[in-house]
Parts: sequence; C-alpha cells; structure tokens
Amino acid sequence: MKKTLSNFFSRNRKFIPLLSTAFLALAAYGIGAYFFAGMRNPQVFFNLFRNSSYLLISAIGMTFVILTGGIDLSVSGVVALTTVASAVLLREGWNAWGVILLMLAMGMTLGAIMGSFITYLKVQPFIATLAGMWFARGMCFFISDDAVTIDNRIFQIIGKTKVLIPGLTELAAKQGSQAPYITIPVVVAFILLIVAIYIATYTRFGRTVYAIGGNEGRNEQSARLMGLPVDRTKMLVYTFNGFCSALAGLSFSLFVYSGHGLYAPGFELDVIASVVMGGTMLTGGSGYVFGTLFGVLVLAVTQVLIQFIGSLSSWWTKIVIGVLTLVFIGVQTILANRKGGRQTVQAARESTGARRKRQGLVFGLGTVVVLAVAAIVIVPRLRPASTVETPENTQCAVKPFREDEAASLVKEGAVIVYHRTAGPLCVDELFAIYPDGRVLGDDGVNKVEKQVAPAEVEQLLTAISVDHKWFTAEIYSTYLNPCRQCFAHYIDISYNGQQKAATGVDGTTAMPPGYAFALAEIRPLLPEFNPEP
Amino acid sequence: MSESDQNILMMEGISKAFPGVQALDNVSLTLKKGEIHCLVGENGAGKSTLMKVLTGVDRPDSGRVILDGKEIQAKSPQHAQSLGISTVYQEINLCPNLTVAENILIGHEPHKMGRIDWTKMNALASDTLQRLLGVDIEVDKPLGSYTVAIQQMVAIARALYIASAKILILDEPTSSLDVHETAQLFRVMSKLKNEGVGIIFITHFMGQVYEISDRITVLRNGKWVGTYETASISRVELISKMIGRSLAEFDEMSKIKLESSKLITKAAILQAREFGLTGSIQPFDLDLHEGEVVGLAGLLGSGRTETASILFGAEKADTGSISMRGKLVQDYSPLGSIKRGVALCPEDRKAAGIVDDLTVRENIVLAMQASKGWFNYLNLQEQYEIAEKYIKLLNISTPSADQSVKNLSGGNQQKVILARWLATNPQVLILDEPTRGIDVGTKAEIQKLVLSLAEEGKACVFISSELEEVLRTSHRIVVLREREKVAEFSGEVDENTIIHAIAGSEA
Amino acid sequence: MRKSMKPSITWRKITESRLFFPIVALSLILIFDFIFIPGFFAIENREGNLHGSLVDILRNGSTVMLLAIGMTLVIATGGVDLSVGATMAIAASVAGILMNPSALKNEVFFVTDPNYTFQPLWLVISSALIVAILCGLWNGVLVAYMRIQPMVATLILMISGRGIAQLITNGLRVQITYRPYAFLGQGWMVLPFSLYLVAFVFAITWFLTRKTAIGMFIESVGTNFRSSYFSGIDEKKIKLLVYTFCGLCAGIAGLVASSNIRTSDANNIGLTTELDAILAVVIGGTAMAGGRFSLLASMVGALVMQAITQSMYAIGVPAFALQAIKAVVVIFVILLYSEQVRGFIRRLSAPKTEV
Repeated sequence: MKKTLSNFFSRNRKFIPLLSTAFLALAAYGIGAYFFAGMRNPQVFFNLFRNSSYLLISAIGMTFVILTGGIDLSVSGVVALTTVASAVLLREGWNAWGVILLMLAMGMTLGAIMGSFITYLKVQPFIATLAGMWFARGMCFFISDDAVTIDNRIFQIIGKTKVLIPGLTELAAKQGSQAPYITIPVVVAFILLIVAIYIATYTRFGRTVYAIGGNEGRNEQSARLMGLPVDRTKMLVYTFNGFCSALAGLSFSLFVYSGHGLYAPGFELDVIASVVMGGTMLTGGSGYVFGTLFGVLVLAVTQVLIQFIGSLSSWWTKIVIGVLTLVFIGVQTILANRKGGRQTVQAARESTGARRKRQGLVFGLGTVVVLAVAAIVIVPRLRPASTVETPENTQCAVKPFREDEAASLVKEGAVIVYHRTAGPLCVDELFAIYPDGRVLGDDGVNKVEKQVAPAEVEQLLTAISVDHKWFTAEIYSTYLNPCRQCFAHYIDISYNGQQKAATGVDGTTAMPPGYAFALAEIRPLLPEFNPEP
Repeated sequence: MSESDQNILMMEGISKAFPGVQALDNVSLTLKKGEIHCLVGENGAGKSTLMKVLTGVDRPDSGRVILDGKEIQAKSPQHAQSLGISTVYQEINLCPNLTVAENILIGHEPHKMGRIDWTKMNALASDTLQRLLGVDIEVDKPLGSYTVAIQQMVAIARALYIASAKILILDEPTSSLDVHETAQLFRVMSKLKNEGVGIIFITHFMGQVYEISDRITVLRNGKWVGTYETASISRVELISKMIGRSLAEFDEMSKIKLESSKLITKAAILQAREFGLTGSIQPFDLDLHEGEVVGLAGLLGSGRTETASILFGAEKADTGSISMRGKLVQDYSPLGSIKRGVALCPEDRKAAGIVDDLTVRENIVLAMQASKGWFNYLNLQEQYEIAEKYIKLLNISTPSADQSVKNLSGGNQQKVILARWLATNPQVLILDEPTRGIDVGTKAEIQKLVLSLAEEGKACVFISSELEEVLRTSHRIVVLREREKVAEFSGEVDENTIIHAIAGSEA
Repeated sequence: MRKSMKPSITWRKITESRLFFPIVALSLILIFDFIFIPGFFAIENREGNLHGSLVDILRNGSTVMLLAIGMTLVIATGGVDLSVGATMAIAASVAGILMNPSALKNEVFFVTDPNYTFQPLWLVISSALIVAILCGLWNGVLVAYMRIQPMVATLILMISGRGIAQLITNGLRVQITYRPYAFLGQGWMVLPFSLYLVAFVFAITWFLTRKTAIGMFIESVGTNFRSSYFSGIDEKKIKLLVYTFCGLCAGIAGLVASSNIRTSDANNIGLTTELDAILAVVIGGTAMAGGRFSLLASMVGALVMQAITQSMYAIGVPAFALQAIKAVVVIFVILLYSEQVRGFIRRLSAPKTEV
C-alpha cells in the first residue's frame, strides 16, 4: 500500500502543489462547515465564486505571465482604471456593449505596451509593470476624482441575474429552500478558465509559454536556440493579461456598481498569491492553469472563514495569505533545488535519498510550525455557535445617509453634523453640534442631548479646519461597502463661511488620514445612545 | 567518388583574433561523410572558437567554410541549424520542464483539428528515438526527470528530426556520463555514422578518442598541429603533439634536468593524507615543502583543478586530512585557508578571479582585506602602497591603480590576480593554469616569478597543460590521470617518461 | 610614465561619475522651477527656521532618502527589497501603540495632552527599530540562507506586513499626539529635523561602507560572487547585513512618516514608497544587477523624485496625475540608463590597454 502511494506520488510529483492546495481549500471549507452551520448553506459555497470571479479572471491571465518567468504588477491599476472609465462612459450615455468592448481593447493595448517594453527594450518585468500600474491609477484620476456610480440597466442585468444551477434547483425546491445561484461573471470566469486550459495544453502558443519560463532563465535562451518565437509569445502573453485585467475590472464593477481610482488596492498581490498557491512557480515553466482555480478558492475560503469567525478582523486575511504564500514558495524552492545551481559532478551523484530526507524534514517542520501557530491563534476564537447564519442574513441593512436632514440642520445653525451608520448592529446615529455648545443626537428611535463648553466647539472646529485641512483637497469623499465591524460616516462642517461634507468608511485604505483624525476629534464630544453590552 | 566529394565539410585557413590574443591562426579542418572526427587540444587550444565560427556565434577574420560543396557563413546558431549543422553542448540546450516528446518536436508539433495531437506527437517522438538512436524511453515524462545521458539523446534526436543534420557537433558529451551511458552514446554515434552523418566529437578522454574516432585533429595554442588517422598514431605520440614538444624536436633535445639542487630537505609546510573527494578526486597523499615547486601534470579532466580546489578548501574534501606545519586543519574554507597562508589562483580568471567592476587596487587588496575581516580596514594610503608595490613587481601594464580591471588585457588581469594572492603573504601558493591565454613574454615572467617565490621559502603548486612549462618550473612533478594521482617524479626525469605516465598503460 | 597615486580630476572623470546624471537632472528641474514657478526659490526665515519650497523638498523627501540609503546597499548586492513600505508601517504601528495602547481595547482614545505617552520615548523608538531590524533579518535569512530569490522573498513580507501592522494596532489608526515624537517629522532646527536624521544615517552608512571593508565587499559580492568566494568573502553574511540594515532604515523612515501625519496608519504609511526608493537608487546609477554603488547619488535621485513631485504640485497638477507622470519618468530613466550603459560599453571596448 505504501509502495503504491509513493509510486503514485513520484509519478505525479508535478501535481503535488496543486493537489495540496485543492485539499487545503476543501479541508478548510469542511472544517468551517463543521463549526458553522451557516457555512453548510450551499449558497455560501457558490458565493465563494461570486465574490472572487474577478480574482479568478485576473489570476488566469497572470498564470500565463508567471509561466514565462515574468510578472505583472499592473493588474490592480488596470482594474481600477476599467471601473472608472466604464462608469464615466456609462454616465455619459454610451452603449453598454460598446463600453465593454472598448475596455477590453484598452486592457489589451496597455498590456501590449508593457509587453513591448519588456520584450524589445529589455526592461525588467516588475519595473515595467510597476510603471504601468502607476500610469493606470494616475489615469483614473484624470478621468474622475470621485467615485462614480454605475446604474446602467444592462450592467445591472448582467451583474444581478441569478444563473440557476441545473440539478440543484429541483433539489432545493424539494427541500423547500432557495435555489442556489451564481452570476454571469462567474460563468464568464469559468468559460475563460476552460479556454485558458485548452490554450495551455493544446496549442503551440501555450507550449511555447511553458518553454520560455523556468530553469532559472536558461530556458529562454534554449527556446530561442530551438527556433521558437520567443518574442512574439511574450508580447502575446502580456497582451492577454491586459485583456484579463480589463475583464476582471468589468467583473468587479458589476460587483460594486461604481468606479474609483482607489479600488482594488494591493490586488496584484492577491492575484500573485493565488497563482503561486495554484502550483505555478514564480520562476516559471511549471504549473497548471487549473491549479489557479484552487489558489483562488483558498483565498476565498480564507475570507469567508474569517468573516464567520467574526472576532478576527478582515486584515487577518492578509496575514494568512502571506503565510500560506510563504509556505508554498518554500516548498517550491525545496522541490526545485533538487537540480540547481553550480553542481559539481560529485554533488549530482550525492545520494538523493539523503537530500530528500533532509528536505522532507525541513518541509515537515515548517508545516508543523505553521499549523501550530494557526491553531493557537484561531481555535480559541472559534465560537461553534450554531446560531450564526450566513453573513448575508446577519448583515443588517445599512441605513442610507440622511443628507437632506443634515443640510437642513446646517441651515439652522449647526456647525458640525455627523451621521454614523452600519457597524455590527447597523446603527443610524445623527448628531448635530451647535456653536453654543449644544450637542443633539437622534437615532430614529431615541433622542439624546449633551452640553459642552462653546470654547470646546470652537477648538474642535479650528482643529478640524486648520490642522486637518478639512476644506482642502486633502479631504475627499470615499465610500466602500462597510465590513461587519466597520462604520460608515457622513460629516458636514461649516466654518467661516465655508461648508463641506464628506463620507468615509472605517477600515478601508481609501479614507484619508485627515478624515480619520477629524472623526477622532469629534467623537469624544458626542453623547451615547445605549451603553455598549 | 573523388576525395573532395567525400568531404561534407571543409574549413580552410580560419583565423580569429580577440583583443590581445590570437585565438585561431590559419586552422583547417575537414570532415568526411559518415566519419567520426575527434577534435582535441588542451584549454586555450582554440577548439571552442573553431566551433563557434562553424556554428555562427563568431565571424572569422579570414578563411572560409565549405559545407557539402557550397561556401557558407552561418549568421547565428539557428541559421547554422537550418544549414544542417547541429550542436549538442555539454549544457543541454533544451527545456527540462517540457516532456521528451515536446523537446523533440516543439515548433513542429502534429496538429489535428486545430489542436496539438499529443498521441501522434508521442508516437513520432518515440519512433524517432527508437529508429534513429535505438533508445526506448517514455516520451511523455518531463525531460528533467531523465539523466543527462538521455537528455543528450533527446537533443540529438531533435537535431536529426527537425534539422535533418548533416553535421553533428558533440561538445564534451561524455563528461557527465558513466561507462554504460557512454557506451550507449557510442552505439548511437555509430548508427548515425552509418547513415552518413558527419560527427565532430570534442573530448578530453583519451580512451574514448581511440575507441570511437576515425580521425583526430590536434589544435594547440590556436594553431593546427595535424590531422591523423586514429589507427596510425600512438597515444604517446598524440599526447606529445598536444602538450609536449613536437616529436622531431624531441629527439634532438637532451633530457631536462629538474632543479634538483635546492631541494627537499627543507621542512614540510603542508601534508595531505588520504585526502580526496568522492566523485571528484581519489584520495591522495601529498607533501609540500618550503622552497619547492610541485608541478601537477595531466590532461584536461585528470583532476588537477579538483585537487587544487580541495587543497584550498573551495570544495570540502570528504576523506582524509591536511595538516599545516604539523597542526591538523579544521576550518576548510577559502577564508580559513587564506588565514593559514594557503592561496589559490583559480583557473577561470573571468568567473572566479577578477571582480571586473572593481579597480586594480581593489582587486589586489581584496583577499588580504577579507582575511582581516570587516572592520580592520586598510586605509586608502596603505591600499595604494600595496597596489603600487605589486604593479611594479609584476610589471602590470595599467595607466593607474584606479583603472577598472575589466579594461586590462588578459595577461595583465592574470597578473592582478597573482598580485592579490601574493599580497596575502601565503606560505603555500597554488597556481591553476596561470599562463593560459597569455602572451609569451608574460608567460616567461610568471614562470620566473614562481621560481623566485620558491627561493623565498614558499611552497608552490604549479598546474599547466603545457608540459614544457611544468618541467621548466618544477622541482617535483605529480602526474594525475583520470582523477587519480598515479605517479610522482623528482630528480632527473624527462618529458618522455612523464608523457608515458600521463598516457597510462596502453601507451 | 606612471601617474601619481591619487586620481586626478578630469572632465571625463566628472561625466563618468555616478553623480553626474542625477545632479544634471536635479539642476534641470530646478531651472525649470526657477523659470516657471515664481517664488519657488524663496526662503523665509520664521523664528530662526528656514521655510520655503526648497526646504519642503528636503523635508518631504526625507522618507524616501532614508529608504534609498538602505535600498542602495541591497540593490548593490544584486537584490531588491519590496517590503520596505510594509516595514515602515510595522515600525509606525509599534511606536503608535506603545504611546497610546488604548487602541488595544477597541477604543479610539483621543489624547489631548501633548506630553502624554504611555511608554517613554526611548522605549518607543528603540522597540520600533528593533522590530524593523527583525523584519530585515527575516528577509536576509530568506535570501542569503534559504536562497530564495530576493523579489520573491521580500514579496512575502510585503503581502503580510500590513496585516501584521494592523494586528499590532488592532486594526485601528492610532493617533500620535506626543510632542517630542512629533518633532521627528515636524520639528525644525533651522532646517527640518528629519533632515538631520537623514544626514546622521547617511554619515553612519558612509562610514560603515567606506571606512570599513564592508562597502568593498558589498560591491565585490554584487559584481561577482564566485570570485568573492574564492577571495574569502562570506557572501551570506554580507547579504544578511544589507537586508537587516535596509529594514532598520525602513523603520526610521516609518517613524518619520508617522510623525509627519501624526497617525500610525497601517494601511497608508509607506504605500508605494518602495517603488520610489528603488527608482531613487536607479536614478542614482546603481545597476539592478549589483556592483558599484553611490549613496550620495541615490540621495540625489530621491531628491530628483521629490523635486518633480513638488514642482508638479506647485504648478497645480492634481495629486494623482502625479502617479502617471512618475510612471513616465521611470521608463525614461530606465531606458536612458540602459542606452547609456550600452554606449559606455561600446566606447570602452574600443581602446583596450595594449599588452
């Protein structure tokens, strides 16, 4: 039995990283389903794909780039640019399909430009694509400073149509529960995946991609000597990735229904992590497009798990992903060092058995450490409460900002109007601060009142206006869907004849620091509605 | 069929010069159809340059190449391939992450309905390997999972299938092969020979030269020495053509006396006992005494560089031990050796010698500074003094000590590296091919220098492919053959004896 | 005829010097500013301290200059450190939380007293720097001992570093009100205090690299590690040193940056600054493949970047259009250097010294 297992593994050594990722994703989901009843709802499983369709699309393109031994850091910029450009064009009344085609063409052009710098001008990929990202993000703000919403009908249809899954619909009907669904972007992502797998396996272009990467860069030279069209292939790879980035951007804008230059920060790192965990080596030349699917799944499952655990904040995702990436890269390096570097004849004949044992030990040790740390951190925080349902159901409805009410309060003389919504219990608290020191609060149910010294109000206003530069371009409105722990804020300040309102959400990178500071200065003055449990 | 019809390749009067050195000087080579032709010569003889001219990597200064009756000039390796000249290098230029079949057929894969027909491709690859080479392996496994021997077969298969090679150049193919794999390669070569392919076989293994080749061409220092029928030249004669004086001169020369006068009664500085490295050099005993020069003689691949390497600690020996002045050595590393007073001037001055972005001064003080550590820094004044001292001593031709070392000629670069090691004030100085690729005048200077170092009481190990040089410079000669120390000579000995020792029993 | 021992200053030496191109670039920008931006060169004297656009360039460029110092050494060994931004955030978080640990209790506690700090300043600063050193050490071990490619190895900290920083501050932005700390970035002693910090770090680095063998060894390892090995240089220790030092520089930069905005903002501090640092080093002429380096040239490179930024602001170019402009600058510089290098090689390979 052991013999057949070890035989199986040595024949298919290539698949080990891929299989371990798949195992990890499914195992993590399984563990979560054990602890959280909510995760047993099949819709949660399908939502994994809904929420990460744009990641999958972009990762597919990135897989090809990494297979050639290159890298593309511009994807987040192109995604953001796509969201902004399409939002603005739609706002101007362009046809939805025209916009989609134009965005894809734009992505391909950007990819081709970067590809030509890398291929013909011999610029290092990460510098060229970094410049590409800067350029793309910069272009976002040329187009529009603020977030632009998308309410085009066709986009709404594409994004919100529920695609029912054949077979499961009847099952659900029998059980009396809702039929699970996915969305069109998910379908698109899977179609792209199938096409990509076909290209990688059955076309000369695909095989040339594999030939270029790997072997510490020596393969590229070998491929040239073998007469393969290396330059043309590299160009195509970056162009294809540009296409995928734009498509991912479209998919993203179908998710958030708006466009802003600050969207998807750090996205490229998630994409790279997905590809690496899917078994593709960063040095190129080996890996499977299919594995990328599992890499994306791992990221998605991590996010869901953290959501369900609840007491961990969303930035834990970043740490977990970083650790996982490290483990995978470590494993890849060890597996690759079997045949590397300046080996003498002697080293080549070193007993591979001894070396494998040593490597296996290191690998095993590393895994044990990682699992131990994870266990120590996560397990105490697990609350196997079966009362926790799907995040969608417990996500209370976020109340919209009461902008009109705020405006009228300002007319009446309030110098500071502060509205806070969302949070774990979806509050709806509107405060008004007057120059004479009165602070009034209203959450739709109760009213509270507090009196502070007028000098304090004056001091507050000066601090916000002068120190935190409220009335300059350094303070601007941002809005993203708030996380479960996060609050959304609307602040309206009047001072010395100036008036300015701005929105912001906690826990996002988008919120300008000055805004946060102003928030922090205002809060101590506010009376509380209910004491915290 | 006339003589010239039988020749698939004729290279006539090829000359090529690089700055400072004449790599090829009026060299000729002919290759017949269906012939295995060995190209031999020590390092710096010009073999690789000649092949680079043939395969289009370099353009010759003069001369012409005639392939199958037509004059050609290959513009690039790919162009050469399309003309019918294929090369299999020691470093297999294939993609180890792709499968065997892909490596053979990529770029020409069979398609079915617009997509690659893997079944057909595998079948074609398997068939080619079997039919042309008599090799039977699973073609759908990655190339990297096979040994170097099999990878070479695959490279040959690609050359034949894709390029229908008329000429196959095999550059040191047997260096990483064992006995069985070499036999297999030879079987393949015989098969190809019968099909009319002309094979140029570059190797330094004498036994293999005699086993498989029809004719041998000897190059030496860029010049063509001669082309011989393998059956009619003895091993001793061949070796003397390669590294010794010509046979004619040889008869006239009297025996060379070694400088046996000031000799071995002095103390032993370094003693190696059963010292060796598995797969690299067999365990040997060696004593190095004050004031003596020990020459290591042997052909390329006999283990001279490896011996130097483990004596210096660049690679760690796994058997035996060394003692310095009676004390057992524990710290085997370059730094340890330098601190103990052992220095190695490596063979490959470009890759392991000069640091080309640094100046002459920095290159000279580098090792000495390393032995002092990070914080015990020689101030600039001291550095300049040291540099100037050695520039004068070795007569290094450079405008100033601040010249970037990459601008110097090969000979002067070698002197800079020598200076570096002399600056560490070693007790034992190992010199691996210090005169390679250097002009005659500088060669003589270096030989004289080595002898004077010995006079100062140092022990020197002198490695060179030029036997004459070794004889002229050494008090004692150690002969290596096939990674084993086989003989040691002192006192009166002549070149003939040494060549016999190098050649081995089947002289 | 043998020349004297000391090198003589010739026109060719000047144009070939690493400083030439960056200084020319900086001069061009300043000339542009002089012509097109009135009052750019004006320097006010407020209460004994100098203020003005030029001073702002120096002050705002301090962060990148600090990063560039460490990054120069890393790039000189043939590597790169993409995690400096994340290290900045981590150091800032450590400092912030030590001055105001209320964030750990999930409150944003507003401190009104500028003299309040939970832990003494020396502990705050040294803890932050120690943590930064650990980050650098981590990178160094991955690159030097586990032989992972530098870009890949530092990518890991780049991904997870901000998560770690958020972990330290429990996800909240910690405000910094402690005046002595704020002095780091916002204090003035005739010139901005951060400038003195930069000068201090530069001086120490210059001393360590040019008055000890470390600089020579770094250049040797970066040019040809095999030759260095044979000469007895331990490449592993050198690489470990430079990555650790780069982490330290990033830590100092993080302190300055957080002091500037008076927040420990784990998400935003140091965002994209790693790219600015790499670009500064590239402008300064240190090749990405490793080898010879010049600290001064990298600093000038950082100033060039900052001067461009400042000038664009002064003209009225919107903040984020600047990113696009920087992108163009990057490409331009890279191309310029590659052509320059190629041109130099062409010129140098022609007249070789005769045997």
